[in-house]
Amino acid sequence: MAKQLGFHINSSVCANCKACQVACQDKNNLPAAIRWRRVVLYGGGGWVEKDGRWMPNGVFSYSVSFACMHCENPLCVQACPTGALMKRADGVVLINQDQCVGCRYCEWACPYGAPQFNEAKGVMTKCNFCEDLLAQGQNPACVDACPMRAIEYGDIAELRAKYGTLAEVEPLPSASITLPHAVVTPHRNAQASGTGTGKIMNLPEEL
Amino acid sequence: MKRKNWAPGGGKKELRGKDEWVRISWDEALTLVANEIIRIQAKYGNKSIFVSGGSEIGRALTLFGGYVPSYGTTSGGSIHATKTTILGYTGYVNAMMSDRMDHRKTTLFVHWGLNSISSSGGNPTYNHLQNKKNGAKIIAIDPYYTDAAQVLADEWIPIRPNTDHAMVLGMAYTLITADDPKPNPLIDWDFLNRCTLGFDKDHMPTGADPKENFKDYVLGTYDGTPKTPEWASAICGIDAARIRSLALEIAKTKNVGLGMSSATARQQNSDSWTQMFYTFGAMSGHIGKPGSFTADGYYHQNFSGLRCLVDIVQPGSSGLPSVGANPVEEKAADVWTALPQVPGTRLCESWMWKAIADGKYQAVKGQWRDLNIQMIYHGGGAKLQTVDGMSDGIAAHRKVEFVVSQSQILTTNSKYADIVLPVTTPWERDGGMVIAGNREFGLIWGQQVTKPLFEAKDDLWIAAEIGKRLGVDATKIAPLSNAQLVYNQIVGSKVLKDDGKTTEPLVTISDNDVKSLAEAGVVVKPQAGRVALAKFQELGFYQVPRKPGDNFEVVALKAFREDPVKNPLPNKSGKLDIHSKTLADIIESRGWSTIKPIPAYNPAQEGYEATFKDFKAKVKGEYPLQLYTIHYYRRSHSVFDNILTLRRAFPHEFFMNPIDAQARGIQHGDIVLIRSRHGKTIRPVSLTERILPGVVTLPHGAWVEMDEASGIDKAGADNIINGTVPTGQGTSGWNTCNVQVEKYTGSIELKPDYQWPQRIPIKEA
Repeated sequence: MAKQLGFHINSSVCANCKACQVACQDKNNLPAAIRWRRVVLYGGGGWVEKDGRWMPNGVFSYSVSFACMHCENPLCVQACPTGALMKRADGVVLINQDQCVGCRYCEWACPYGAPQFNEAKGVMTKCNFCEDLLAQGQNPACVDACPMRAIEYGDIAELRAKYGTLAEVEPLPSASITLPHAVVTPHRNAQASGTGTGKIMNLPEEL
Repeated sequence: MKRKNWAPGGGKKELRGKDEWVRISWDEALTLVANEIIRIQAKYGNKSIFVSGGSEIGRALTLFGGYVPSYGTTSGGSIHATKTTILGYTGYVNAMMSDRMDHRKTTLFVHWGLNSISSSGGNPTYNHLQNKKNGAKIIAIDPYYTDAAQVLADEWIPIRPNTDHAMVLGMAYTLITADDPKPNPLIDWDFLNRCTLGFDKDHMPTGADPKENFKDYVLGTYDGTPKTPEWASAICGIDAARIRSLALEIAKTKNVGLGMSSATARQQNSDSWTQMFYTFGAMSGHIGKPGSFTADGYYHQNFSGLRCLVDIVQPGSSGLPSVGANPVEEKAADVWTALPQVPGTRLCESWMWKAIADGKYQAVKGQWRDLNIQMIYHGGGAKLQTVDGMSDGIAAHRKVEFVVSQSQILTTNSKYADIVLPVTTPWERDGGMVIAGNREFGLIWGQQVTKPLFEAKDDLWIAAEIGKRLGVDATKIAPLSNAQLVYNQIVGSKVLKDDGKTTEPLVTISDNDVKSLAEAGVVVKPQAGRVALAKFQELGFYQVPRKPGDNFEVVALKAFREDPVKNPLPNKSGKLDIHSKTLADIIESRGWSTIKPIPAYNPAQEGYEATFKDFKAKVKGEYPLQLYTIHYYRRSHSVFDNILTLRRAFPHEFFMNPIDAQARGIQHGDIVLIRSRHGKTIRPVSLTERILPGVVTLPHGAWVEMDEASGIDKAGADNIINGTVPTGQGTSGWNTCNVQVEKYTGSIELKPDYQWPQRIPIKEA
């Protein structure tokens, strides 16, 4: 079986700092509105009052960093009417902007919101796994930026051998949709996709 | 550049902060600045010139007869005077924290107000993660379930801001009343008796009233109020049972790390809190033992390895000679000399804008003197943005005849100035030494990556050029080139040898280095050191490899515990002062408020108690919520707030519990109006269970954007909400404020911050 690149996301130590998100924008020279990698904050719980004092009752939160999952079943590639999107031999899903007509079908198809529209250029853009850095033997920008060393990349088979096969926690969509090439180490308070009692805590404008 | 409607004497002063900008030449700018300095000094004297920051322009003005400086508690809060007095170490010198390798022995960490990931840059949180992997339990005491707590905390104990002191008094009461030498020893009497003064009536400092001891205060022997966990609970909001059990857990665990962040001291009336914290560390037995520490100031340096006690890498001096004392500044009286900040002619930062606006300042207690500041010179920094009481600050800026600011970007200092002088960043200069990081990673050689952009100039060059135009000896201002200053630091740097005792020079300077540097006008002597100069230049930094059991491990205050007579603390008594008349005298003499010599609880002016109209009957007042100001990933203080990707990532939202929101008809994402006694601001609100009901937080450092018609700040600047309320040692109490919040229904349309125009004063054609 050919090598397939993927990410390991250690949500158990993610501190919500978004260094990965901003380093990605910085390295790839993206405008503020386009974020190939994002960090979502999920949490919940409640409070109970006792003698005029408030006690937390299962308050929790955790953060998940996510980008294009370079899926086994990339719905974006299937949705693209011009063939601009393709899956490379190493499993990386790339977009050829010369062939892209900006119809945004891929954006609608992807449950992760990975392909994003560049209004100024009229074309779609997405995570390219920092292919230029990989070619020079370097790490993707998000991996090196993390102060908690929470992002790792490599052959997905090796990552799964090391970290298991979990690829879905709230608020990520079910892994069955696109078979993402990612492994998540869940936070101690993580909830399974589709069964969460919490909510996305970010403001809508943040995501 | 100069303000369009500025003219010598001030022009239309009311337009400061909203005027247009005109680009002018360096020669014109320097001449205009120098002429105004000369005019103002001739008319009003040197005491009319206020310098808010930046050491370089101070060199020129000192030679020109002096200027009025300021003093403030900044990041360290009330730790400064308190720690200097009771322990002998200044605020930022964290001699209390053991080396990070020693933390691996610690099994319980208890943190008051630690959010290391967003307020201590670098890898302190990663370091803590290693302790956690090692099996340590971490308890976070904080009004907010912080990002660090999300990663690290085994338990989160929510607490009302400004009440840590009450909580720890309840813990002290628990230990004092439950301690029994035989079956249940909880108190480290050996340490208290040998190494501290004032804990009980038998160990008082000479001359002190025995009734004024700490133990009897806790028990309520003389004031009739025992500081029980129930008493504490009513103030801090933590269940009394947990206060009690936590005290016992700490006392019964052998290796404990007790930490307080300086956020807990950036509070009004907190001068006794640091003393309370160390008193509890002493009585519970966690000072000066392997695996145990009691330490304040969780700075980036400290938690990845104590920086200041014995640095493994020790930077050299730049060799820039002093130009002498500022002639305007009065000589400090004895009582101040041990302190990092000295009043006198200095303006207390948490009062200075009011002092300038009102024309009066308090030098020491009761000595109110006239003040006629007519010029504000921002030589660097961001004081108008980052000091409490910004509304008073704006008024002060619109009152004086002249405002100059040096900055790289249009900081708030510069936005409200008449003339802005663009300065270089470290990356545009000949390089510089960044003396940061932890003790084993002492030096980063920041090297020039670009020639100065546009027309930016170095601060020292500007000071010298202004000096020339003032007619002072400019060669004294900048006697050495920037390159020489940098190489002096490099050549003088030392590194500890493997024995952990002796040092050697960090870099080797060869004869060839001497020759090639001489061609660049830099004078150095050959020397043998650890790494070749070229190698150090290539790496850009030097770090000492560490391993457990090496000779660099330090257990803080171990020698003091073992023999306090031979190894006294560097304060007056040589011991930890649980009773300190000196501290009470210092606070008294500053004239803002008073404290007791022992750590007695002192409610904050705008703390929890002040949210009530009637505290006993529990009737809330006009400002019923407690606001404090967390550090925020979008910025480092106010720096980087102009960057759109960061604005996109972090919307500068206001955080509130859904319970408080529901009572006010507020939904997640609504725009809310936040009002305090001092100002108004609007922000999108994030409703989160991560914050204690009754407490709200507005992240620190957003760049003010006043809507002049309504007097509402649109940007959510913390210092519009925080007022001019100096207490104790002149502490800036950023984490102490009462507010009311409502859904905003006014006419201002608030777009997401990343859609705002950046502060770019003049666009290149």
